[in-house]
Amino acid sequence: MSARERLVRIASIDGLPIAAALVAAAVFFTAASPFFLTGENIRNLLIQSVFVILLAAGMTYVLIVGGIDLSVGSTTGLSAAMTLMTIMNGAPWPVGILAGIGTGVVVGVINGFFIAILQINAFIVTLATLSIGAGALQVITSGTQLTGVDSETFLALTKGNILGIPTGLVITLVIIALLEWVLLATPYGRSLFAVGTNPQAAFLAGTSIRRANFSVYLLSGVIAGAAGVLLASHLNSVQPGLGQGYELSAIAAAVLGGIALSGGRGSVWRSLIGALFLATLSQGLQLVGVDPLWFNIVTGASIVIAVAFDRATQHFIAGQLRSLARKQSHDISGGGLEAEALRSPAAAAPIEVQPAGAGNHEITSGARNI
Amino acid sequence: MIRSKASDQQPSRRNLLSSAGLGLGALAGASLLSACSTVTPTGGAAAPAGGAGSAGTNNPAYDSAIKSLVNGRTVQLGWTPPILSEMFNQMEKAAFGRMAELEQTYGINWKWERSAPTGNFDAVEQQVSIVRGWTARKFDAVLVCTGANFATMQDVYRQASSSGTRVFQFNQPVELYDEEKINTVSNIGYDNRWQSGYLAGTFIAKTLGGKGKIIQIMGPSGSDWSKARQIGFEKALRENPGLEVVGSADGGYLRDKGLNAAQDLLTRNRDINAIYGENEDMALGASQAVDAAGLKQWDGQQGVVIIGADGLLSGMESIAAGKLTATVDVGSVDQGRSFIDAVFRSVVLGETVAKTIEVPTRVVTKDNVAAAKAYIEGAMRPAKSY
Amino acid sequence: MSTSSVIGISSTRWGKVLQNPSAGALLLVGVLVISMSIAFPTFPSAINAGNVANQMVFVLLLALGMTVVLITGGIDLSVGSIMGLSAGVGAYSINSGAPLILGLLAAVGAGAVLGLANGLMITRLGLPDFIATLAMLGIARGLLFLWTNGVPFIGYMLPEYYVISGLERPFGFITVPIIIAAVAVLAIIFVLRKTSFGRHAYGVGSNPHAALLSGVPVDRVKITAYVISGLMAGLTGMLMAGRTTTVAPTMGLGYEIAAIAAAIIGGAALTGGRGHALGAVLGALVLSITANAINIAGVSSTWQQVVTGSVLLLAVVFDRASALLRERSTRSAGRLAVT
Repeated sequence: MSARERLVRIASIDGLPIAAALVAAAVFFTAASPFFLTGENIRNLLIQSVFVILLAAGMTYVLIVGGIDLSVGSTTGLSAAMTLMTIMNGAPWPVGILAGIGTGVVVGVINGFFIAILQINAFIVTLATLSIGAGALQVITSGTQLTGVDSETFLALTKGNILGIPTGLVITLVIIALLEWVLLATPYGRSLFAVGTNPQAAFLAGTSIRRANFSVYLLSGVIAGAAGVLLASHLNSVQPGLGQGYELSAIAAAVLGGIALSGGRGSVWRSLIGALFLATLSQGLQLVGVDPLWFNIVTGASIVIAVAFDRATQHFIAGQLRSLARKQSHDISGGGLEAEALRSPAAAAPIEVQPAGAGNHEITSGARNI
Repeated sequence: MIRSKASDQQPSRRNLLSSAGLGLGALAGASLLSACSTVTPTGGAAAPAGGAGSAGTNNPAYDSAIKSLVNGRTVQLGWTPPILSEMFNQMEKAAFGRMAELEQTYGINWKWERSAPTGNFDAVEQQVSIVRGWTARKFDAVLVCTGANFATMQDVYRQASSSGTRVFQFNQPVELYDEEKINTVSNIGYDNRWQSGYLAGTFIAKTLGGKGKIIQIMGPSGSDWSKARQIGFEKALRENPGLEVVGSADGGYLRDKGLNAAQDLLTRNRDINAIYGENEDMALGASQAVDAAGLKQWDGQQGVVIIGADGLLSGMESIAAGKLTATVDVGSVDQGRSFIDAVFRSVVLGETVAKTIEVPTRVVTKDNVAAAKAYIEGAMRPAKSY
Repeated sequence: MSTSSVIGISSTRWGKVLQNPSAGALLLVGVLVISMSIAFPTFPSAINAGNVANQMVFVLLLALGMTVVLITGGIDLSVGSIMGLSAGVGAYSINSGAPLILGLLAAVGAGAVLGLANGLMITRLGLPDFIATLAMLGIARGLLFLWTNGVPFIGYMLPEYYVISGLERPFGFITVPIIIAAVAVLAIIFVLRKTSFGRHAYGVGSNPHAALLSGVPVDRVKITAYVISGLMAGLTGMLMAGRTTTVAPTMGLGYEIAAIAAAIIGGAALTGGRGHALGAVLGALVLSITANAINIAGVSSTWQQVVTGSVLLLAVVFDRASALLRERSTRSAGRLAVT
């Protein structure tokens, strides 16, 4: 294997550029602040980011079929409120968890009904459910003070440890692994990619586009419900406005991980890295003592640099792949490189002839009703 | 986002307690008490704020004794308001003024870090992580004003205290909570119920002779400030049964939303006598709506009374120009000076300070706007910035 | 879109109305207006109509720019921040002694420049539209906060500015902002229908591939769309600065969502290739009438969000219902033609 081939092989590992950006950020902050790489800080960082990580994972599914779900933030807040309210009214903690996840199911079914069955624009439907969910939280919290559950088991969901790792993080990682497996290794997961890439072809191949669309909004709702349960355990209190803005962070994390809003691409793992990158950036800047007035600017600039780097890597890989293919096509064919390249967005680059930015929105079809 | 107002017409139990508490704390340095009288909850207007003043007393022996106690120590402070605004800018400048005075007289060195979320999203989470970050960096004291949930913050404060960082809150409506459950050294602010909402209500009653129709432009529902002020405002309404609220709308603490809300409400109720805006920006928006609707603003005899709350320089200019009837000045300058004093006494001198320190608030009208404005303007020119 | 209504076969007047792609939103406006008028006699007054018209100008202008961007298949999350920063530029220029007209132009120009930056990030750096404009949202807002230190700009209100921003109304209910908005609507209609940019925009949005292959300058079309959107945001900021007489660093916060919602209610789609200027007007009208109705009806602020969300949902359900009617009439007409 030539050095060049090895380089291409490394560069085309799924999610590597954004992971490299994450490592670079971590190294920078470790050098800049003695407080960054401490056990306590890393623990804080991870626990605080599990909510956006979970939402980004659910969002990955929605984005892959070419949809969008703006309601996840307010669903998370509402689910946290339902969980606490149930437990505070004397129900055992598992019932509280069911109430929280049930809230997510209800929102997911409503979104799915309007978007998949009635075929109404996903942006507007989920914007409306965002507003209704946030309003419902407002109504609940204006009536009762939601604070102070004393079920130790419930609080241990986020405060306890399993093998020294925070329980909340373990739960999140299990969910993430499961979601990644379903996406990449089951016929259902593959059908989602098909629907996102080319709904007409998927339909002709026998996939129910309606069912695929419905399922991702239901899933996104359930995940938001689960995030709400964890948030309730983490904060042990709920206030109006809880969860507001999580949806933007989740979408940003997913897109930062290389998922296109036009659908057909993405993996849960990349969204996870995207979410960690955002969390590291904001906490690192804080520890270095940067005024948050600069946060928006620095975060904005970092996102631009990270994504531009990702794009440049893809172009590099695409170019190398082409020339390698010309030189020694028989050597590569059937090898692992091709399989990897297929999964990585790099493979899409040579096909999308137009500038990358313009490639975001592909052929419209009735089924992809964003 | 977060503002308030009022004067001390209803001294609460807390108020009395806090004065007593401060008296106790001052025993350790009786003469310092007089020197720092601007800091005490009742002495707000006693000494000129700002300028190149010094904190010195008339007791040189005492001053030099304190100076040797301080021994050139450096104190690292972190200050986090919920958003950067004119209100908190005034407060920060006032704090600088007091820090400079203490530095000049007692040789203390200050390190100041300001961290304010910018309000796009995640503002509350950002503040939690700001305080956690300062705790990790072993700051001597952090000063917090936040819209975050009470219980969440107590958790954060407990962690901070246990790792040696002292926590103070400012401008926080602590009156809604049990003092014992607040994990801070001290809370410097005012009582939103009686020193703000109640004050605005009674001002309207007094001006209108106890009778009239009111429109209310409220902040986003659910915030502690809103809740506390509403308690006071409703008490004023109960005491003046001739007052009637004929309409209320959400103005989101923003001027354009306040303007829209007031315009819409005026469509339905053209015969109103007063508008209560929960903060100054919304009240100023309402004032524009009154002008646009062709109604007359209060001229001392008749017209629509418009009262807001904050005590911003821009609001005072509007009062002077006749664009706003009154505002409740919630003592941004005194809060800034008082929390620095509380830190100095508690962190540096090891004294006790009252758990709740309330600064004076006042209704500012055309009659007394000159004094209120000059007081803030003086504080806007601190001898040194940190 | 206009083709579907041209092809529409139903001969009844009602059928024709319902075939309009924005019929659903129009129907909702009608239902809202009628029910509010019955419940609150002050609602249908001239004063209130004037209020709604003046309040909707801002979302309308942003929605016009957003519609153009959506047609090309993009999305602009930065309009609220650009609006705030542009207003700051205008206020600062006037405060430092620039004549009013220069100050206003500076505000609009700043918006256009920031829009250009969006366009360049997307086409030259190859960033996804969502990411580039999200970054701009943060950067422009951060700059305004840093610049002002949180203290609003004041003192720039020259007497003529009161007229320009509609606070003073020399012509009754028709204020200068309403005139500006009307001109902007006509301009966008003209640009979309009569210029090569307009034709290319729909092509780029519905099939960028084909557009590129057939020689459309895709990059230039996208950049132009973002410049138009930025320009509209700058114009909105300029008018808003006049309306509020202060520029707070939070100015325009969250307006991007309202703008996108208005454009989509008006028939644009995130998938590109769809949308028209009159739709943006209708979308802005739906949002403004809803907000106005909530205030007039005295809905408690606790319930406001729930009501707003429900009305939004109703708007799209109406729209979908009218689309279904349209499909059915087309189908039955087709069957008739076959027999």
